[in-house]
Amino acid sequence: MEVSDLLLDRATAIGARSVAVVGTGKNVGKTVVMRAIYRAALARGWRVGVTSIGRDGEANDFVDALAKPRLRLAAGTLVAGARGALPRSPALEWCESTDVPSASGTISIVRVRTESEVELVGAPTASGLRACVEKLFACGADFVAIDGAIDRVAALREEDAVIVSCGAAASTSIEAIAAEARALVALLSLPRYEATLEALHVEGALTPMRAAELIATGERRAVVVRDATRVTLRGRALLGALERLQIRVERPLRPIAVTVNSVGRAGSVEPKALLRAVRAAVDLPTVDVFAASAA
Amino acid sequence: MSELEFLDRTSAMAIGEGWLAASIAPSSPYGSRDTIVRRRFIGGEEGEAVAQARRIARIAERFDLTEMEALRAALARLPDIAPTFARLVVGDALDDAQALALLRFSDAAIELQRMRADFDDLPPCAGDDVERIRALLERGRVGSNAFYLDDAFDADLRAEREGFEEARARFESARGRLERTVAEALGRDARFDEEFIVMRERLVAPLPPGVRVVREAPTYVLCEIDLDEETRVLLERREEAARRVALAEERLRASLAKRVVASSEGLERTMRRLGEFDVALAAAHWTRRFACRPAEISREGGIDIVEGRWLPLQERLESGGGAFVPSSISWSGAAIVTGPNMGGKSVALRTVGFIALCASMGLPVPAQRARLALPPMIRWLGIGPDEERRGGLLSSFAGEAVRLRDAFAALSPRALLLVDEFARTTTPRESFAILVAALHTARARGAEAIAATHLAGVAAAADARHFAVRGLRGIPEATVGGDIDRMLAVLADCMDYRIEEISEDRRESSDALALASLLGVDDEIVSRARAIVKTIAE
Repeated sequence: MEVSDLLLDRATAIGARSVAVVGTGKNVGKTVVMRAIYRAALARGWRVGVTSIGRDGEANDFVDALAKPRLRLAAGTLVAGARGALPRSPALEWCESTDVPSASGTISIVRVRTESEVELVGAPTASGLRACVEKLFACGADFVAIDGAIDRVAALREEDAVIVSCGAAASTSIEAIAAEARALVALLSLPRYEATLEALHVEGALTPMRAAELIATGERRAVVVRDATRVTLRGRALLGALERLQIRVERPLRPIAVTVNSVGRAGSVEPKALLRAVRAAVDLPTVDVFAASAA
Repeated sequence: MSELEFLDRTSAMAIGEGWLAASIAPSSPYGSRDTIVRRRFIGGEEGEAVAQARRIARIAERFDLTEMEALRAALARLPDIAPTFARLVVGDALDDAQALALLRFSDAAIELQRMRADFDDLPPCAGDDVERIRALLERGRVGSNAFYLDDAFDADLRAEREGFEEARARFESARGRLERTVAEALGRDARFDEEFIVMRERLVAPLPPGVRVVREAPTYVLCEIDLDEETRVLLERREEAARRVALAEERLRASLAKRVVASSEGLERTMRRLGEFDVALAAAHWTRRFACRPAEISREGGIDIVEGRWLPLQERLESGGGAFVPSSISWSGAAIVTGPNMGGKSVALRTVGFIALCASMGLPVPAQRARLALPPMIRWLGIGPDEERRGGLLSSFAGEAVRLRDAFAALSPRALLLVDEFARTTTPRESFAILVAALHTARARGAEAIAATHLAGVAAAADARHFAVRGLRGIPEATVGGDIDRMLAVLADCMDYRIEEISEDRRESSDALALASLLGVDDEIVSRARAIVKTIAE
């Protein structure tokens, strides 16, 4: 079985018709994972819709101007993209113009008629993303792939399966990469608050200082925030807080797998060792889409 | 006449101008741009005001609420083509999203025209030009809701696309041949992505020719197919064919734009008529929903209202299961409304102002019957939000005095003054005097003034008609508890809100103590107050 099929099976097993790919940082192979899922879905004969949370998928990275993997879309693919970023040629089939705003214009729903590369610039907000995904389904998509971003997990939907991508982009320490992945998965896996629990509802964000205060006072109640984005602790601080506090969310997410990329712009790590280390750090299936292996 | 002069902020808030604007808001961008809804008719335009109100009433009779809601839904679906149109007129090509918008616009306008049938009170909204636009773009229609710049538009585009497909097929074939060669050398199947992985442990020899390394990892290399000279030439031909397709598409878009612009006069007329259609329909929907009727607009002074309603309150009461009690008031020059607290004196004033506002906008009015002149100005005189805005720099009375000054500075015949418990915060004697003087002065200048007051003898002193709220009946002895909604419900049951004209001040009480008791004011205070009232009376 191809690793991308494994990812799709994990998504369908929980009833998700959409998958969002979120990276621990930039250049961790998110677009490669997105492409692999997209192609696997096409291979199953599904009508696929694609979109992005904000801007992604452009030929050169918008932040560091380096070349990025491309997203080449087959005829029949539905796209929810910003009007100003969609290509004029080859002509696309225009299905719907929405009022959802983005930095590159309002979002339109189009169908690819001739295989082409498309820069994905999607809705930057949760409500906008929700509207776009619903419109993709309404226009006939069987499955939707969402190119996500770590700083925009607020836009993810409960219905989405989430894949976490990590890699050697920022660090060539396997331990550091695994710890980053573990923390992000822990954040995205925060359990839903059940009303039977005695709770302390935190308005706004659960900051490191607020968490430290709660730990110091021996808080036993569930500490409830709206969603994972309201927790601003990261890395070891987050993991430490999770050991001492019952942090719960009103709107949980559903991470299903982690992908690793052993090659970064700064250097590379041994792929199998990385795969094993990340698998050991997260309680989720872990795959290397580049090396086509899984753990 | 400017908005400020006709109705200032305090007056607009007091009589519910914002509620009215929201209630008759059009559904489409064309209606929102139209200015008819905001137009105020002034003296000398009585005929136009009546004609417009009657036309709206006829529309409200012709279509029931369900039909009007269907029409409004169709209007709401109209895409806004004005920005597109503006760009085409200055020479832009028609892009595909704009083509989709034009196609949908044509569909919706033609559908509205069908629903309008031959009803002349709504303007026609789809003429030959709209039909032409739809016919022009029809070849790009995909299903019922999508647009594609189809080959059927243009033989050149079809030829270029066929050329591209041929070039692409040749390139894919050559690339496939290379992939098969590489696959054979690597001992794997020939299914390659743009980039593919080769595991080092499976490499028994150097990478074969035709493979380029994109990046290396300790255990694998990421590769892509390295095109040979022949395939590279075919790739260039494919890219050239793609460029020609792009040029052909742009030529077609430019040609479509010219043909749309050729219908510009008709399209502009259609957009304008759709605006008129939308505005009239929104007003008609409101008219039917609230059973409004055209008023008789007079050039003479005097106001005559039979069973008038203040719709913002009526809507709120009815949404809570309550009922609004209409009021009938008729006077010329000056009138007084007296009655208990919470009895509806201020609502009577708001009703008059609201009806005058509707009439001046050429709308049917919420009354069984109404006759009035078009006021050049409506002013609410009482404690209002302006005093709060001044942040306490003026006392309540000083704030009222400033409004009185401003209103009389601009006062002209048939202006409408709504005076709500004016000067209530100063001494009763001076309050009485200034109110009576203001009413005399307003009448002398030809204005129509109506004042709500608790002061006795104002009607006689001002030589004004006197209307009174009937007031409380069957007052409960005990308080009804702390829930304000429950208290208001009990109060509503006890209050007779009907207004009738009386010949003299017959009430010596405003039922203030009964009301205080009902609202749960401390029993000791209420008892002592009752004793004091009794002592004064004796």
